[in-house]
Amino acid sequence: MGDLFSNLGLGFSIALTFQNLGLAFLGCLVGTLIGVLPGVGPIATIAMLLPITFGLEPVGALIMLAGIYYGAQYGGSTTAILVNIPGEATSVVTTLDGHQMARQGRAGVALGIAAIGSFFAGTVATIVIAGLGAPLTRLALIFGPAEYFSLMVMGLVFAVVLARGSILKAVAMILLGILLSTVGTDLETGEERMTFGLAFLSDGIDFAVLAMGIFGIAEILRNLDHTETRDVVRQAIGRLLPSKEDFKQSIAPVLRGTAIGASLGILPGNGAVLGPFAAYTVEKKLAKDPRRFGRGAIEGVAGPESANNAGAQTSFIPLLTLGIPPNAVMALMVGAMTIHGIIPGPQVMTKNPDLFWGMIASMWVGNLMLLIINLPLVGLWVRLLKVPYRLLFPAILMFCCIGIYSINSLPTDVMFIGFFGLVGYALIKLGFEPAPLLLGFVLGKLMEENLRRALIISRGEMTTFIDRPVSAGLLAVALILLVVALLPSIRKGRDEVFVE
Amino acid sequence: MSSPPDRPEAPDRAGPIRGQQSLFGGLALVALAALAFYLTRDLTQGTLRAMGPAMLPRWLAVAVGLCGLALAAVGLTKHGDRIERSGLRGPVLVVLGILAFAVTIRPFSFAGINTPGLGLIVAGPLAIVIGGYATPEARLRDLLVLAFILTAVCMVLFGDLLNLPIPVFPQALTGLFPADWSQKAVLRATAAILAAVGVGLLLATRRRGPAPADVADHSGRV
Repeated sequence: MGDLFSNLGLGFSIALTFQNLGLAFLGCLVGTLIGVLPGVGPIATIAMLLPITFGLEPVGALIMLAGIYYGAQYGGSTTAILVNIPGEATSVVTTLDGHQMARQGRAGVALGIAAIGSFFAGTVATIVIAGLGAPLTRLALIFGPAEYFSLMVMGLVFAVVLARGSILKAVAMILLGILLSTVGTDLETGEERMTFGLAFLSDGIDFAVLAMGIFGIAEILRNLDHTETRDVVRQAIGRLLPSKEDFKQSIAPVLRGTAIGASLGILPGNGAVLGPFAAYTVEKKLAKDPRRFGRGAIEGVAGPESANNAGAQTSFIPLLTLGIPPNAVMALMVGAMTIHGIIPGPQVMTKNPDLFWGMIASMWVGNLMLLIINLPLVGLWVRLLKVPYRLLFPAILMFCCIGIYSINSLPTDVMFIGFFGLVGYALIKLGFEPAPLLLGFVLGKLMEENLRRALIISRGEMTTFIDRPVSAGLLAVALILLVVALLPSIRKGRDEVFVE
Repeated sequence: MSSPPDRPEAPDRAGPIRGQQSLFGGLALVALAALAFYLTRDLTQGTLRAMGPAMLPRWLAVAVGLCGLALAAVGLTKHGDRIERSGLRGPVLVVLGILAFAVTIRPFSFAGINTPGLGLIVAGPLAIVIGGYATPEARLRDLLVLAFILTAVCMVLFGDLLNLPIPVFPQALTGLFPADWSQKAVLRATAAILAAVGVGLLLATRRRGPAPADVADHSGRV
């Protein structure tokens, strides 16, 4: 326990320096600014804003990036409440009751409770990360390649179970993602694989390029298909501070949402995405009068928003302790860390304690910033949301181009976001979800590396994965999950959760 | 993703294709798997003990292909979603805008064609104006104003404040300014001129009487 406080103390001594506070502030501000734009989720936002952190030193850069991430998350919720357009999967649930509240002239209260709930959830999640960081890092040290491989298999199975729609399609997307990750020079033999002999493919496909194409450009193309019917709330925003009554109604949902989100967020395989759905379902089940849900129940905003933020933060745990990015946003963080010469994993905490604890402390600071800067700026966000899409999307397009060009200074990268944009658009048209593809891509390289290493150690015996107890346990969990997800009765329930 | 929940559409025509999305999705996967197989044809497979570069991609290609076949089979047997129709305008113009940015931002040569490096000052407005026409609601004047002002802001933000290594203007431009001006000074001056042109355009076109009725129509529907 004493360790925890001295570590957090070290963290705050770094996060609270004038410069780092400024960076956290700036990160939250620009993150929200871009994240608020309809159709721009956290992934596209971070990919776009990644270059602005290049000139900073590592600690400052990561603090700013974390700020951008929280800002983008909160911006997405703002859009969900005010315009009924979820920026990404996790804020889908917020549209249900949040937008209804806005229509009843209670947009301010919805935004307020979302911010306060998120702040509380963020505070708890910060403590969870600080508490779990050290023990999990020790756990990571006993992990060999076989365990890592099995853990990632489990993560991918999770992603399949959590994906919406057909399980077969989700599996196909994950496999395709791993296949894409094998493009480029083979690390062990140095031979080029599937590069068409093109020089710029020999380093493999850049993750930021793939993510920006599939999530940024494809989203623009998808939005262009539909004539725009954005219904920005015309009602007054109303008071921002929830009343005593509102608080009373929201306290329990915030607590439950935080617990649900924080525990799901730790799971590898994008468990965080399930948090808001689970929290909403729980609140609806527990409510005395479930019919209020979907008609502006404050619990329907407080619970999911807390879960969302708690999960967003605890999903740093697999990255910081095991070095495995659990979702696409964290994969971008890996990219950012690598640019600054930091390889995420258990060694970060021991080798760079300043960075590790400073970043954790800055998470809390970032949450506080969101609370302070967002509520007064709501008016600005509303105005931004009223800009018609025909002017918004060309601007988004140019930001994407500049952002991706500045990462590697390669015009081919810019062309490839166009190409992957078309690919992503085709996927959407064919009913495939792009998120599992990205996760497969993220974990693909790590998986291949660990698979090969494990097999070299075991001299080609595949049984190594079930002989080692930890690895066998992880694979068993994966198998059980998959079977359970395929059971007809559970499948029905799963579909219902996502339809709600 | 923010796609709306799938709703199965009523099967309107009986035919061999029942689930269009599934069938074509499955076939696309099979095609990709075949492509991966073809591309890894010259690489060694290796053994489990010492995996060659081709082993994992080939296994994955087989798995993707099998998923594709299964999906195609589903498309032939079960009713499912049809593929939504879409115009070519959006994708073509957005991609053209991106390509225009890519080939003008810095000198680029491909297949014997060389482009001079024109920098952000040309690439930015090109991306905005060409890409902007992806929607039928596009209007040149608005796009030009947006392009000039936004590019000026980006030049100052990325080139001046953040010092990103992004080419901002063609080298030839420096010749137009007094020789003792620094790169930064030229950057600020050009950005200011660009912004002024944008604002001027905005004001000049606004003064020409009230805006046509359709303006209110479009912006009123936000």
